[in-house]
Amino acid sequence: MLDVIKPGVQLCIQDLGRHGHRHLGVSQSGALDPLAVKIANTLLGNPLNTAVLEITVGLTQLRFTSATNFALTGGDLKACLDDTPLTPGWRYYAKPGQLLSFASSPDALRAYVSVEGGFDLQNVMGSCATDLQAGFGGINGSSLATGDQLHYTSCTERHSVGALQPGYHKQVRILSGPHCTQLDSSVAQLLCAKSWQVLPDSNRMGMRLTGPDLLTHQLSINSQAVLPGTIQLPPNGAPIVLLNDCQTTGGYPMIAQVIQADLRHFAQLSAGDQISFTLTTPALAHQETQQHNYHLNQLRIALTHHDRSIS
Amino acid sequence: MIQEQTYLLGEQAVVLDLNCARLDNTQQNRLFALHRHLQKQAQCTDIVVGKTSLTLVLQDPTQCASWQDQLLLLWEEFNAEDFHPTTHQIPVVYGQAAGPDLAPLAAQLGLSQSDIIELHSAPLYQVKFLGFLPGFAYLGCVPEQLRVARLDSPRTHVPAGSVAIAEDLSAIYPSTSPGGWRLLGHSPTQLFNPHSQPPCLFQPGDNVKFVPQKEGLC
Repeated sequence: MLDVIKPGVQLCIQDLGRHGHRHLGVSQSGALDPLAVKIANTLLGNPLNTAVLEITVGLTQLRFTSATNFALTGGDLKACLDDTPLTPGWRYYAKPGQLLSFASSPDALRAYVSVEGGFDLQNVMGSCATDLQAGFGGINGSSLATGDQLHYTSCTERHSVGALQPGYHKQVRILSGPHCTQLDSSVAQLLCAKSWQVLPDSNRMGMRLTGPDLLTHQLSINSQAVLPGTIQLPPNGAPIVLLNDCQTTGGYPMIAQVIQADLRHFAQLSAGDQISFTLTTPALAHQETQQHNYHLNQLRIALTHHDRSIS
Repeated sequence: MIQEQTYLLGEQAVVLDLNCARLDNTQQNRLFALHRHLQKQAQCTDIVVGKTSLTLVLQDPTQCASWQDQLLLLWEEFNAEDFHPTTHQIPVVYGQAAGPDLAPLAAQLGLSQSDIIELHSAPLYQVKFLGFLPGFAYLGCVPEQLRVARLDSPRTHVPAGSVAIAEDLSAIYPSTSPGGWRLLGHSPTQLFNPHSQPPCLFQPGDNVKFVPQKEGLC
């Protein structure tokens, strides 16, 4: 079992998200950094969609009550296993009684922990992800609290091994959105022309941005489907980047869409951080997603050789 | 007249936008018929109906360009008669604690509370689309005499089951949440339960009939 000693700022169960129910108003949820989830699960030989812990900010303490291999990915929140510092992107072995603790860091916001074989969780509408807004999935639909216990099947020790994690950036690539033509047609260029500051009321639903020259307007559109990565522009001109827990429809103009491969960068952005956008093409966006897939395939092949040569 | 069009939303989604302020009944039912048809295909992760649009999230993003053409062709193929909605009878206790905005609204509109109940429960509503919360259905259309703006300041706590109106739409809050719609009554019907199969009572295009209950004002 994994005992939650201290949850820290936010600790929740996430996987690659709940899909196929947006027409019923059900959000995607899921880890803000899907690549970190996939790398963690690949390191352990788990199916890619195995549910993991998403740790936000840090200040978290977890105790392993039985032996397991686990993987730590995402941002560097200064994790330690008892007194030993850990590096994100690595697989480790925990003995019964060992304490996994996180400090915090000004340079990172979220880390992920997966255990070999995964946690025993109930699947709700096709996913174990916690829908924090609607209150279902994960454990009782909420963030984890002190005293919560996650069950897993104990396993034997494997050698520690590390994977390269692609870096996190504060420059994000976007595709121009459908409503640019109805606003000032250069609105996507204006979005890219300067940097934007992340506001404190940002969360897993969306990242609110501000800047010196806001892109005010008076256009309202009929409510239509929005997605994680959609950049909405309310009349006050301060863009909102929708993230995994966003609502399924919205009535603000959509001026851009963050490319799939770059959405993970938002997992590490905190209030006060500066970000900027650059326009790209759908072809390049596909290529970047492919790159992530190649990266995971290479990792899986390398691990197969590594684990075979050791055993 | 501006024609319907398709465009991309990011690298994974294609939108059919009917490019008008509102849909007439024929267009609306054609859209729902198309939605039902697309739901039977395995190529989409999600298909979301909007007020005047339909968005496809594709499993294979390389198919986006071909779906832009295909959606326009499919839109031409479907007739309103191809769509056969389910009708739900929804019991409602109107007024007093169950509908705290009924009395003030009657005063504002110069109607009696029972006039408002009669007007509100008269139409056969249709689920235009869902959003805001899981199972939150936007129901159209509220009779002209009852069309009022949202509250100036939204409530922080609207109880689950509240039956409400705002502008030309009515809704039932499936779960407790903040909300700015005017509360006319309350329904015991469970609209959404993630552990049930199916989890959501209403599907896009379903019909809803409100049935005033004796316990309330009626």
